[in-house]
Parts: sequence; structure tokens; C-alpha cells
Amino acid sequence: MWLFVFFDLPTNTKKERKAAARFRKDLMRDGFSMMQYSVYNRHCASKESADVHEKRIKNFIPEKGQVSILRITDKQYGNIVNYWGVKEDPLPEGPKQLEIF
Amino acid sequence: MLKRTIYFSSPGFLSVKDMQLVFDPKNGSDVKNVPVEDIGFMILENQQITVSSPLIEELMNHNVAVVFCDSRHHPQSMLLNMEGHHQQTEIYRQQITASEPLKKNLWKQTVAAKIANQAKLLEKIGADPNPLPHLASRVKSGDVDNREGMAARVYWQRIFGQSFLRDRYGKWPNALLNYGYIVLRAAVARALTGSGLFPSFGIFHHNRYNAFCLADDIMEPYRPFVDMAVWNVCEKYPDVTEMHKEIKAEMLQVLSVDVGMKKQTRPLMVAITHTTASLAACFTRDKKNIEYPILI
Repeated sequence: MWLFVFFDLPTNTKKERKAAARFRKDLMRDGFSMMQYSVYNRHCASKESADVHEKRIKNFIPEKGQVSILRITDKQYGNIVNYWGVKEDPLPEGPKQLEIF
Repeated sequence: MLKRTIYFSSPGFLSVKDMQLVFDPKNGSDVKNVPVEDIGFMILENQQITVSSPLIEELMNHNVAVVFCDSRHHPQSMLLNMEGHHQQTEIYRQQITASEPLKKNLWKQTVAAKIANQAKLLEKIGADPNPLPHLASRVKSGDVDNREGMAARVYWQRIFGQSFLRDRYGKWPNALLNYGYIVLRAAVARALTGSGLFPSFGIFHHNRYNAFCLADDIMEPYRPFVDMAVWNVCEKYPDVTEMHKEIKAEMLQVLSVDVGMKKQTRPLMVAITHTTASLAACFTRDKKNIEYPILI
């Protein structure tokens, strides 16, 4: 299960910029990584775990701006096609239960 | 919840940033990020890995089992959280003042579960499980007549052949068994501290030189899962008599193997936390039985 967060946050005043930076930082502290500017994703081992992270995001959403949360299955994630320019790029692999560095 | 197992075998620097574990291999390859809260078990095998203090703090906050290996790449030490559970002191007290009959009863359940799993394993690999199921059903309180030993005598020879002797410094695959048991022991010790139990005071093991008596007790019914993994490795690599990376990776998979718990199937690492939680409930007299896994 993957959680995607898309957002458009206003950055007109200093306060808004601060709130936007805070939101971005909070996402990263929750284990999200940047896929594109304002598109963040995270792998969750189970539906329950996805619920936890969704709830956490709700708690730090900034006052203004638009935030969307989407959850998709591993299978759907695998169907993403990435283009970098005109060249197709492979999708970064998701985490496995056992990882060797 | 199933947590991730991470195994570091190449040199690098481990630190923490934004509550994420950061692995910097220092050789120009990509820096890797892993959320600390997703990790359950971590092995550091290379002698050229540096770990930062804030990372250790973060790992302990999330009760991650961190195992360090010695220069021979064998698991040697682990980190243990001094405060793993909010009711820790209360549960410690119950555990230490547990009555002798209670401990004997718990040990009886443990031995019965272990022998039952040994029998299941023999059945699974096509060997004759008798008389193990019979032995399992007649374990006495405190296992006074040592059914555990009786079962072991037939068990080992049926798995690894007539000439096999289970001995810490014995011939292959003893080294493989040692490796698997240490991994398992660390996972059990982690679960014990997570349930507020103190791993040094066992229900049966009481060696004064052993700091993990309770872990050694509770892991008994889980040992056949390691034995199964070792058996699989021996079948898959019949000519190998030394550890290498693939074999170690195979052994670490034990932590996520499916086990039967109360009509449900769970990954082994999750099952251990159920076992230790039920053990804590036994000490506080909220429960009578420890939940042990069944080999499937």
C-alpha cells in the first residue's frame, strides 16, 4: 500500500512560506520522500499503517492551501510509467521486508 | 505490524535526519533513507560502519533490535532499551515474584509447544515424527522427567543424519544453527522488553552467566523454525560448509516466515510479540496460557 500526498500551498507572505516549509518537513519526518515538487509518497506495510499516517497528516495540514491524499495498492504503484524527458525511467523499487545494504 | 529487517554488510555511515535512518555508503553510491519507525530488526555486520548517537536514541525510542557482529561476522552484542513499556516496573515485580508453581506451569507449556513444533517439522521434511507427538502431550509440570531431552535425541538425528551432534562448536551445520538462534534470540529479547519484561530472569534457564535467560526460555518453541531454515539451506546448498552473504540473508528471512497462531497465520516477528504479551499477562495472572506458534 502506498500513500501519495499532493499539495498546492500559498507562498505569498512570510507566514505562508513558513507554514509550507513546515508541512514539507513534517511529511519528511513521517517517512515521506519527494517524488516531484509537491508530490510526496510513502510505502505503508498494511492498511492499518496507512490509516496511521493518513491521520498524522490530517493533524499537520496547514491552514491555507490544498492538500490531497491518495492511497494506492502495490500493484497500482507498479503500473506507474515514468518519463524523464522522452526517456522512460524505471520506477524506484519499493521497500522489501528484508533489505541488505 | 510487520516491521522491516535491515542488514548492513558494507562500510558506511549511519545517522538520523528528520527521524529517518540515513545510510551513507561513503563510496559515491546513493544515500538510502529508511523510516526508523518501520524498522524492527537491524544487523550491523561490517566493522567499518559508524553509528551516530542520535540514531541510537531514535532506534531505542522505537524499540528496534540492533545487533552488532564481531570481526568474524558473527552476531555478538545487541542494544537493549532500559525502558520498553509504560508499566515496566510493575511487570518486573510480578515477574520476579512469580511463584514456583506458576513458573513450572509456564515451562511445561513451553516444552510441550517446542516438542509439538519439532514433530511438525519432522513431518514436514518427510521424517517419522513418532514418538514426539506422544512426548508433547505428556509433559509434566516443570518438565521434571526431561521430555525435552528425550525429544531432542531423536529429533536432531532425523533432521541432519545419524552422525549429527548438536554442539555449539561442532561441525556444519552447527554454525548455521548458532547464527539463526542468535538472530532469533535478539528478536525475542526485543519483544520481551517491548512487553515490559526483564530478559534476565527466566522461568527455567537460570545460568548466572547468561543475561538473557527469559529470552532463552521463550525462544524454545521458535527454534524449530530456525531448524527448518537451516534444513532448507542445507538442501539448497549441499556443498557449502561456510557462511556467505546469501546464506545469511536466507537465515534472516526466518523472521518473516508464516507461523500459525490461534487459527490465524502471522509473520514470525509479529507472533513473538503476541507470545511475550501473553507471557506478561500470565505473570500478572490475567491469563493462564502463553500463546505459542504452530509450525505450518
